[in-house]
Amino acid sequence: MVNTFKKISLFSLFSLLISCGGFKDDEMRLSSWVSSPQETDLFEATLQEFRNLNPDIPFDFEPIPGNYSEKLQLMLGTNTAPDVFFLKGMISPSYMSFGILRDLSEDIATDPSFDSEDFYPALLEAFQKDGGQYGIPKDFSPYVLFYNKEMFREAGIDSLPSNWQELEAAATALTKDLDGDGETDQFGLVIEPVLEMIMPFVYQNGGYFQNPDGSLGITDEPFIEAVEFYHGLYRKGIATIPTDVGQGWNGDTFGRGKAAMALSGGWLLPFLKENYPDMDWGVAELPAGKQKATIAFTTAYAMPKAPNYPEDAWKLVSYLGGKEGMKKWTSQGLALPSRRSVAEENGFYEDPVFGVMMRSIEYARPFQIQFSERGFEEAVVGVQSMFFTDKSPRQSMLDIASRIEKYKLKK
Amino acid sequence: MSKTIKSKRWQQMKTAYTFIGIPVILFTVFTFIPIIFAFVISFFDWNLLIPEKTFIGLGNYFEVFQDEVFLIAVKNTALYTVIVVPIQTILSLFLAFLMNQKLPGRTFFRTAFYIPAITSSVVTSIIFVWIYSKPGLLNYLLSMVGIDGTDWLTNPSTALFAIMALTIWSTSGYFMITFLAGLQNIPKSVYEAAAIDGASTWTQFWKITVPMVRPVTFFVVVLGLIGCFQVFDQIYVMSGGGPVNATTTMSYFVYNNSFKFFRLGYGAAAAIVLAAIIFVATWLQKKYFPSNPYQ
Amino acid sequence: MKQIKIQKILFWLLLLVMTFIYMGPFLFSLSISFNAEQDVFSWPIKLLPEEWTLNNYKEVWQGLPFGTWLKNSAIITAVQTICNVFFASLAGFAFARLEFPGKNIIFSLFMASLMIPGIILLVPKFILLNEISLINTYGGLILPGLVSVVNIFLMKQFFETVPKDLEEAALIDGCSYFRIYWQIFLPVSKPALAAVAIYTFQGAWNEFMWPVIVTTTSDMFTLPVGMSFLKNEFSVNWPLLMSGTILISLPTLVIFLVFQRYFVEGVASSGLKE
Repeated sequence: MVNTFKKISLFSLFSLLISCGGFKDDEMRLSSWVSSPQETDLFEATLQEFRNLNPDIPFDFEPIPGNYSEKLQLMLGTNTAPDVFFLKGMISPSYMSFGILRDLSEDIATDPSFDSEDFYPALLEAFQKDGGQYGIPKDFSPYVLFYNKEMFREAGIDSLPSNWQELEAAATALTKDLDGDGETDQFGLVIEPVLEMIMPFVYQNGGYFQNPDGSLGITDEPFIEAVEFYHGLYRKGIATIPTDVGQGWNGDTFGRGKAAMALSGGWLLPFLKENYPDMDWGVAELPAGKQKATIAFTTAYAMPKAPNYPEDAWKLVSYLGGKEGMKKWTSQGLALPSRRSVAEENGFYEDPVFGVMMRSIEYARPFQIQFSERGFEEAVVGVQSMFFTDKSPRQSMLDIASRIEKYKLKK
Repeated sequence: MSKTIKSKRWQQMKTAYTFIGIPVILFTVFTFIPIIFAFVISFFDWNLLIPEKTFIGLGNYFEVFQDEVFLIAVKNTALYTVIVVPIQTILSLFLAFLMNQKLPGRTFFRTAFYIPAITSSVVTSIIFVWIYSKPGLLNYLLSMVGIDGTDWLTNPSTALFAIMALTIWSTSGYFMITFLAGLQNIPKSVYEAAAIDGASTWTQFWKITVPMVRPVTFFVVVLGLIGCFQVFDQIYVMSGGGPVNATTTMSYFVYNNSFKFFRLGYGAAAAIVLAAIIFVATWLQKKYFPSNPYQ
Repeated sequence: MKQIKIQKILFWLLLLVMTFIYMGPFLFSLSISFNAEQDVFSWPIKLLPEEWTLNNYKEVWQGLPFGTWLKNSAIITAVQTICNVFFASLAGFAFARLEFPGKNIIFSLFMASLMIPGIILLVPKFILLNEISLINTYGGLILPGLVSVVNIFLMKQFFETVPKDLEEAALIDGCSYFRIYWQIFLPVSKPALAAVAIYTFQGAWNEFMWPVIVTTTSDMFTLPVGMSFLKNEFSVNWPLLMSGTILISLPTLVIFLVFQRYFVEGVASSGLKE
């Protein structure tokens, strides 16, 4: 009997032991999402510089594949978050309102080498709340207009569209049925049924997703007009969406020559160079509406409220977000520096491609809303409903307005 | 004598408790406590990211029933179940009937039908994303017969049906085997007698096979119901609940609210409502479709 | 006579069409996985690649943490399968052959838990595991699936069919119950044990929802979780994605082909006895 009991309990203990692997945090951890191989290599090289400068600060870099934001939230909620992580500007308001991020203003104030005046203010503001600074902008990228030079030449267009009418005219001229089977093979423009891509047009038209007073702006005329214009390009058949031509995203559609123009950002550059090296393309500022506007995507280095290694984590952030680290990270132009001095030193203002993006930052805004993710999801559904059902843009926006309202973040 | 019996009993008891010890502990920790805990959580505004949990009574339940997306999810799940369960049951019975015939290469065909059932749902979902895409295989086959297909997964009126088809395709092989076991229990003499009476294969199928496998059918329908009510993997991989919530099912709704929006209390409340619905459905099925009508 | 011939032709035609429907998707993904060309969406679709390559497999194997995911899946599946076979048969033995107070209550509670939809347990299980810091560990992945009620039930049903006389003789000889279980019951229960093992294996290997919730870092992902994320990342690269899907399907396929008989018997016994 005793023997039996021993056998079973030993076996149980053994199986429990194999199954329980404790959580390892004997080192500082840094996490990012998985980006292109070129970006990963460059970022690793930047980290290597930091290692050389601070051999006494060991840390572990673990990129998270897949649904980064979901996994990050899960780690924040279970107190297993890395000491430093990438934070998208788009979701920073909800994270800041939950009080789960570390306020870095102390660290900034006590670190004389870290010049925070140098950042483009719009990018810094994306991570501020009630006087706290919850992230250091790592880089940014605005939406600009990518165009296929060869297609423009073939269509005889020699000037770039500078306003909505010209954009529509150019897209019409560039839409072609190449093999004469009655179906369009080349579209003027590729757009995506997502809110972010509509927002530049909204801002250009003087609208807001959320008005400066905090109220919802999606049923106001300027917003609806912009949505109608954007959606109209698709309905008129001069713009396509990637899934219609069997692709995952607009960069691929543009690269494969299914569309002559695309709205995209810096992330498209390495993709085109790698996959479509022979393609002749150019970049232009977005056409303007009533005013020039675009949105800028920015990412920050942020820390959880209680990191395991706060001092070391700040040293890492201070290096990566400082002039030296950022210079290295942005040296190849895979991402644009969020510091003016670095942009100037890298000579980005003179570059034909980066210059366009640097000029855009002067009037670009980060796209942020004070709603929980559920509210954002409702907006996504609203945009999908006008692309994938017969619902008009106006009706779609009216329908989701009351639903989004419920998910405003509590101050 | 009575002493030995007593000590024998005592020994038996000790052995029994040792034998079931681990399962009992595991069940207490991972099933019984969580069930009670689920109810507790559902009365709280429980956000994983916010340390304070506020008691809100039935607040989550009131919100669930007013949540348009939840109502859409209930509707989608019901539609999904009502279509998938009968088709997969009939199809798998039919496949089993085919496989029960004497034919060369039976093992090969049986394996072919069964392979989708043993393959990871993530794998089959990924393959079908390609098949269903606009320039994909399905539309190619359709174009050969002159039909102009749509983009099956981004079209809100087809997306859910596309996922249903995938489910039927992947589960029917599994249930085929279940039916096959039932069929093999039917004595050959019954068929032989029917054949002598001149009954055609079809008549045999309807008059002998269908009634004789009734208990197996019950089992298949119950399993099918439970599986359909909880469909998740395919939705997660193929459509993320979209487009326009067309494929948001109840378990996807629970997942999304719990682990994406981190409203665990709300998610728990939705899950409890889902459980109640499954309960009622199984009970109704038991009442109106008993496994043995003569009982 | 003629009619029978037509019937036969129709029957075989139907069978072939069905086989095509069930196997076609796998054959096409196999074909795509060897495609050297990234653009698999040329119209009309080419059913076979113009240029064959093994590079996609190489890239999946080398460029991704495929090995780590494989290891995780293997560890989880192995531990869960072994534990299920062992614990389910032990408990099944106790329920089938031993008398003890509370037996019926415990067994009915176990059976009642089968009625509970798994989704209701998701949130509380997650919170509990988080309290004991098991999120993103093997413990969190494995423990909830260590033993399943269905398996205990299957084993109990099977043991009840074992004749009593063997066991009685052994008891008179003074054998312990564990020895009776180990030396008499286990050897005669191979089909039931195989069914439990195979079903646990298949379920654990393909499990998706739980690992997707409890893992946060790539080094803890299982194969299905890893693959589902690749779908987002490589949505452009179908050949790569397809070679991944083929690779993760192989183990189940091989096991199925080898143990085919037990699979079928297992379904049969679980299907008929419930």
